[in-house]
Parts: sequence; C-alpha cells; structure tokens
Amino acid sequence: MSFRLKLMLPLLAVFTASVGYPLLYAFYLSLTNYKITARYNTRLVGLKQYIATLQDPNYWSALQVTGTFVLLAVFIEFWLGLFIALALQKQTRIRNFTRSFLLTPMFVTPIAIGLMFRFLLNQQLGVIPTFMAKFGLSYDFFGPGKALYSIVLIDVWQWTPFMVLLLLAGLEGLSRSPFEAAKVDGASAFFTFRKITLPLLVPVISVAVLIRALDAMKVFEYVFAITRGGPAIQTMTIQYYTYQTGIQFYRLGLASAMSYLLLIIVMVIVVILFRRIESTRKNP
Amino acid sequence: MTTLNSTRLKPTWTLAGNSLLILMALSVFLPFFWLSLGSFKTGAQLNNPALLLFKPTLENWKEVLRSGVLESAYRSATVGLVTVSLSVVIGSMGAYAISRYKTGGSSTRFGILAAQVLPPAVLVFPFLEVSYKFRLNDTLFAVIISHLSFVLPVITWFLIGFFDAAPKEVEEQALVDGLSRFQAFRKVVIPQVAPGIGAAAVFGFVLSWNDLFYALILAPGNSATLPVKIASFNTFRGVELGAMCAAILVAVIPVLIVSFFIQKRLVRGISGGAVKY
Repeated sequence: MSFRLKLMLPLLAVFTASVGYPLLYAFYLSLTNYKITARYNTRLVGLKQYIATLQDPNYWSALQVTGTFVLLAVFIEFWLGLFIALALQKQTRIRNFTRSFLLTPMFVTPIAIGLMFRFLLNQQLGVIPTFMAKFGLSYDFFGPGKALYSIVLIDVWQWTPFMVLLLLAGLEGLSRSPFEAAKVDGASAFFTFRKITLPLLVPVISVAVLIRALDAMKVFEYVFAITRGGPAIQTMTIQYYTYQTGIQFYRLGLASAMSYLLLIIVMVIVVILFRRIESTRKNP
Repeated sequence: MTTLNSTRLKPTWTLAGNSLLILMALSVFLPFFWLSLGSFKTGAQLNNPALLLFKPTLENWKEVLRSGVLESAYRSATVGLVTVSLSVVIGSMGAYAISRYKTGGSSTRFGILAAQVLPPAVLVFPFLEVSYKFRLNDTLFAVIISHLSFVLPVITWFLIGFFDAAPKEVEEQALVDGLSRFQAFRKVVIPQVAPGIGAAAVFGFVLSWNDLFYALILAPGNSATLPVKIASFNTFRGVELGAMCAAILVAVIPVLIVSFFIQKRLVRGISGGAVKY
C-alpha cells in the first residue's frame, strides 16, 4: 500500500463512519414511515414522506422564516462587521485588548446567549424593556411580528465578531502598494475605500458571507431557548421544525425527508455561489 | 500591519471609528455585566432589573454547583478533547496526503468542504437510530462520533491550507538525509505547521464545546454536556432565574479566558490559510 494511502486511510474510515454512513442511512429513513413509537411497523413507503413535506404549509413557512432570518442577519452582520474591522485596523492604541474583547461573543455557547437575551429582553424582568419603559416606550421583543427580528438581533450580537475576524484577517493580508499609489495621487479616504479596499476584499467577503449564511441556516439554539417557534409559527425555523417533527413527534421518517429536501436546497445554493466566487476570482 | 494608517484620515473618520468601537465594546460588556449582577440577586431583587446596589447572595451559585453543572462541564471537556485529539491526528495525516500528493484530486477537497455544509438535522437521526441499536444512546460515545462529523472536516480543511503554504524544501532535504517519509512528516513537516494545528485544534474544541443540537438529541439525560445542562435551567420562575444567570456564566467564563489567549493566533491562522482557497 502506498504511503499516501496509508495516511488517508484513517481519515477515510472515520469520515465514512461519521458522515458517509449517516448520510446514506438518513436517505433510507426518508423512504420509510419510521416512527420511534411504532418502530416494528417500519416499511418502505417510497417518496410519500417527500410528497407530504412538499404539501406541508408549515414546511414552506419554516423555509421562508429561515430565509428571512439568514438574509437579514447576514446583511447586518456584514456591514456592521466591515465597519468594525476597518475601525479596528486603523485603531492605534490598546489594539490587542479591543480585538480580543470585541471577538468574545462568538466563542460562547449559543444556548447561553439565547437564555441571556431571553432574560435581558423579558418584558417584566428584563433590564432593556425596563429602561425603555422609563422613556415611555413599550416594546414586547418576543411578541407577534417582532420575535423574529429579536432573534436576528441576538444572532447579530453573537456572530458579527465572526465577520470581523474574517474581514480583519482579509484587510491585513492586502498588499500595500495600491494604497500607497492612492496616497500619492491624493485620493480621499472614502474613494480609496470604495475603489480599492472593497474590490480587493471581494474574495474574502464572499467566503465570509457564504460561511456565515450557511451557519445561520442552522439556527436552532435561540429558538429553542426563547420562542420555541412562536408566536404561532413566526420563528419556526427549518432546523427547529425538523427537530420538533423527529424528536417531539417521533416521526423520524418524515423528519429525514424534510432534512434531505433542505440538503438539496442548500447544495443548489452552494454550487451556484461557489461558481460565482470562482468566476469573480478568474476575471475580477 | 499599518496598511491604511499610511493614508491620512480626516479626524472625523477617526472619531467615528473610535466611537463605533466604544459603542460595540459597551454592547458586548453590558449584557455580561447584567447577567453577573443577576447571579448575585435574590428572587425578590430580580423583580427589579434596574437595581444596582444590593446585598449580594451566593445562594444561586451554590444551587448551580449542587445541580451538577461542573460534572457536565467535565463531560463537555472530555468530549471536546477526545474529538479534537482524534481529529488532529487523523486530519493532519489526511490533510498532508491531500495537500502534498493531491490524493483523490479536487473531489476530496470538495467532499471535505461539503461536509461542513450538511445540515445537522440530516445526520442526527441516523446517529440516534444506530445508538439505540447498540444501546449507546445517552452515552458520550454517541456524542463524540457525532461531533467528529463536523470537527474533523473543519480541522482537516484548516490543515490542508497550512500544508499548502509550508515550504517543501526542508522536507525534501530530510528525505535526502535518510529519514523515512513518515519520519519526515512527523519530525519535519508537523513542527512547521504546529502553530496552525494549535489554532485549528482550539477552533475545533470551541465548536464541540458549544454544540447543543447533537448532544441534546443523543444524550439528553445522565450524560448531559454543558450546553444541555444550561438549557435545563430555562425557566422563568422567579427563584430559579438567579440560578439560570449563574449557570450561563459557568459556560461563559472559561471560554472568555481561553478566547483572550488564542485570538491573536486565530487571526493569524485564518489569514494564513483558511480564507484563501
């Protein structure tokens, strides 16, 4: 056996056991009527679970909720993250401390962040609504029509630092010469930013946005900690809906079909975006 | 480091930048601060969120420590360490084969990238089903296997980048000097990328330490990891609110300390490989 195969073998084995096998098994489950409570009546039902999923209005609503959440959260995180990264790069004093401090939220377990904001934003006991009440403002953060935006806000709080980390790394990796040329030509800071910094940063930006968007699609903890999908199904994200179907209602077959459909959607998006990134790299 | 410092900025821009940073620092600090206050308040004091000066109580902290939070933190650390050690050993060998010998061509690289995109909901039900079959449900073993499914691809991905960037000359010299290829890999190549491995390992550990979804489904009972334990404090009955604050802080504090030590390295590690592909 060749040297490189010996090196690859452990990776291949563990990868097959922890990713490949479950992936195939999930596909098999999605073709059955498997329920945890009636496991001995399991039989193949073909595409029935997929058809049931496609006809389920709650599934489409969950897709829409997740899509809205991802677009809003990533949009805010990107712009906020970009400005913070620029400010951090130009900062002259106490650089390391500021960086470490501002990046901390992304290292904390999301369930703790979810519970923390549930406490801070609670209408009766939360400090933020209490202070708002002193100015005569009443706002129920987790009320109808508002809960999803509050979840977005929490995501922004926790994950903007991740954007900052990637964008800052990108900014510091840029070559100096175009900036020196701009300086010699007397370009303004805003002009330099729009015409030099942003275009040069595009590869890093696309990667950062892609990673963050794919991660945001998996949002589960904030919903689990705070709203459990409510009010009604306004914060029922796809991940939480699948969890509910599989774990609380025991329908593993149906839940597997739901997640496989999601996987197909995600893969299509990734392939499209990946091609875009590739083409921008070839002809910038 | 001072790429843009060379372009002279108008004072207004500098002021705007610094104000933004101060505002952000406050928005990071204040939630943690209020949480700490809450963890020292009695049930009655918690009804007044604006209360700043009060006689602190240690009851909440005592209750949290009694509830077995430390044991679950210990379990989380075990899961994280086992997952990361396996991933680093297996991943570094595989990443080296992929980077140096182009094993499997671009499809291996794409496969490893694609594995990070998989929604956890796809993999979790098979894990649950198989662990039932082998009576491994509610054990750390099941959690470790499931964590390997996302930690191993991430670490391998990082390491491919680092190996790509490492110079080949030193390694070729080692082969000329009579080391076997595996010795050259272990004694010459690995030390070159050691800082990168460190950053990737810490990153993988944080991913495992923070996971709720897999652990909640695979081990919700006696083997609860820290995030699962924290989730069980999710209650809004007045008396337990203080304990909830303390429990959240138990999860937050170690990570804050660790993150302070690793961030510089992480920024460098990421700019050294992960974002360039």
